[in-house]
Amino acid sequence: MRKVLALAVVLGLAAIFASPALAFTPEAQQKVITAASKNLIEIGLSYRGDEIHFFGVNPVPGSDLIIRLTAEKSEEVKLSVKGRVGPFWMTVKQYDVTGAPFMYKIHSTKPLDQIISPALAEELELGYKAVRSKMKMRLARGEAAPDDGEKVFNGLIKIKEKANLYNIVEDPKRLEITEGRLFKHYFRFPAAATEGRYQVESFSFRNGELIGYGKDLIEIKKVGLEHWLTRISQDHPVFFGIMAVLIAVGAGLLVGMIFRKGGHH
Amino acid sequence: MEIYLPIAGISINFFLIIGIGGLVGFLSGLFGVGGGFLLTPLMMMIGIPPAVAAASDSNQIVAAASSGAFAHWRLGNVDFKMGIIILVGGITGGTIGVQLVKVLRAAGNFEFVMKVVYVLMLGLVGGAMFAESWRTIRRSKSGAAAAGEEIGGAKLGQLFAKLPLKMHFHRSGLHTSAIFPFSIGTTVGIMAALLGVGGGFIMVPAMIYIIGMPTIVAIGTDLFQIVLTSANVTLQQAFVNKTVDLLLALILLAGSTIGAQFGALAGKRLKGEQIRILLAVIVLALTVKLFFDLILQPADLVSLAPAKGGGH
Repeated sequence: MRKVLALAVVLGLAAIFASPALAFTPEAQQKVITAASKNLIEIGLSYRGDEIHFFGVNPVPGSDLIIRLTAEKSEEVKLSVKGRVGPFWMTVKQYDVTGAPFMYKIHSTKPLDQIISPALAEELELGYKAVRSKMKMRLARGEAAPDDGEKVFNGLIKIKEKANLYNIVEDPKRLEITEGRLFKHYFRFPAAATEGRYQVESFSFRNGELIGYGKDLIEIKKVGLEHWLTRISQDHPVFFGIMAVLIAVGAGLLVGMIFRKGGHH
Repeated sequence: MEIYLPIAGISINFFLIIGIGGLVGFLSGLFGVGGGFLLTPLMMMIGIPPAVAAASDSNQIVAAASSGAFAHWRLGNVDFKMGIIILVGGITGGTIGVQLVKVLRAAGNFEFVMKVVYVLMLGLVGGAMFAESWRTIRRSKSGAAAAGEEIGGAKLGQLFAKLPLKMHFHRSGLHTSAIFPFSIGTTVGIMAALLGVGGGFIMVPAMIYIIGMPTIVAIGTDLFQIVLTSANVTLQQAFVNKTVDLLLALILLAGSTIGAQFGALAGKRLKGEQIRILLAVIVLALTVKLFFDLILQPADLVSLAPAKGGGH
């Protein structure tokens, strides 16, 4: 009995090791050593987005690189779909979308499909197709149509790309590699990139197989007046509202005193 | 110079906001009306989320109207009894309006309803103003005597005055029903929340032509109720929708204050009818722009609906 059990365990372990899922676990690979020009972005009064430069060492010279930036939190968003109602364009249906990352950017040395197989891309969540299959949408209002999935997903990508929160750049010029080993590139964080933790993961591939992996963490947070105003307005709305009114009255009276005449409304 | 607006969640050129505030202030100094009805659409055009634009404008109106209200109060131009009745209506309307904003935002059609109300209101006001000033110019050329819609307004006023709940308004020298002042207060309160306007351009004519108040008391009383109605809307927007961007409101205030001084100077060089016809043209142009927004196919059919709280 004990022998049978031991055999089962051994077979089970063998099965687990043999399963492709585990073979692709990024953490199990050789380390891609990376460094970021900074790990903290502070949103102050004059914030208008920021740029972070990344440097790294490719574990095997000449291998292909895919670098992915994602927000740690995935977003719960509601998307409105406009349609024609009589002569007007207005929202006719809404979808609750979950599982799509708030931010998603990729830099690669070659087009993704030339580096990895679709199955591996899906598994490692690299590329818009992978984002699409992880994203879940639920109709919140209105009537569903067969092409809604495509329409809503493309709409989301368009919104995100416009805000510079999503993009995929498959260009060796954007991801420079010196002598196949030392690589450098930068990610732009637009002003719309809100507070939170972001991760930049470097994947190294040889002949379509993952051979190296590295990760940097970036944090964005509001500081000073921006932090204070946001926190108060969201966590203490009553206090914030009263303060906003009192400051407005005070500023109005002050301005009136300065200009004396002050009587427009 | 870029500035990051914490509640709107966007980074925007500081001079663009102060410039728009200045432009609206200039126009309000020139025309003697509040600029709220121009400010909200302009804010939306530069990318401020509509709900944040409306709520922050209300906050800015509190500031802009308070100095005028204070000055009129000291001169004794405020009919407090009338003001409080209108205010009760205004607070009722404002509270209803803020809840309406909440429901409409959740349904994804806040911007649509806002634009429809804007088109109707601006079209009506702009059209009436244009017609009226056009007639005045024609009449002054032909030398005919002025008469006309004031009589219509007065007839309506007599009708409303006959309603129950009669009260005596000492400062305005009136003995009339409280029902109409309350209703107009409610209507303007709802509009204040929905559109981020003070509503003076509706309230003052209604007070003068329909209720029959003396002009200067109408203006003083209107400013008094605007401060408190807008303060109520600002509070409610802060509590319910969390869309008040204080930083945006203060920059707008700075711009509009400076602009208003220049506007008042320019106003002295122009004739009344010319000013009004100019304002009518601006209002009508804005109406046409918003109307086309409603009927032309938008570039993006899919858009983000606001998340819980926050300005997005």
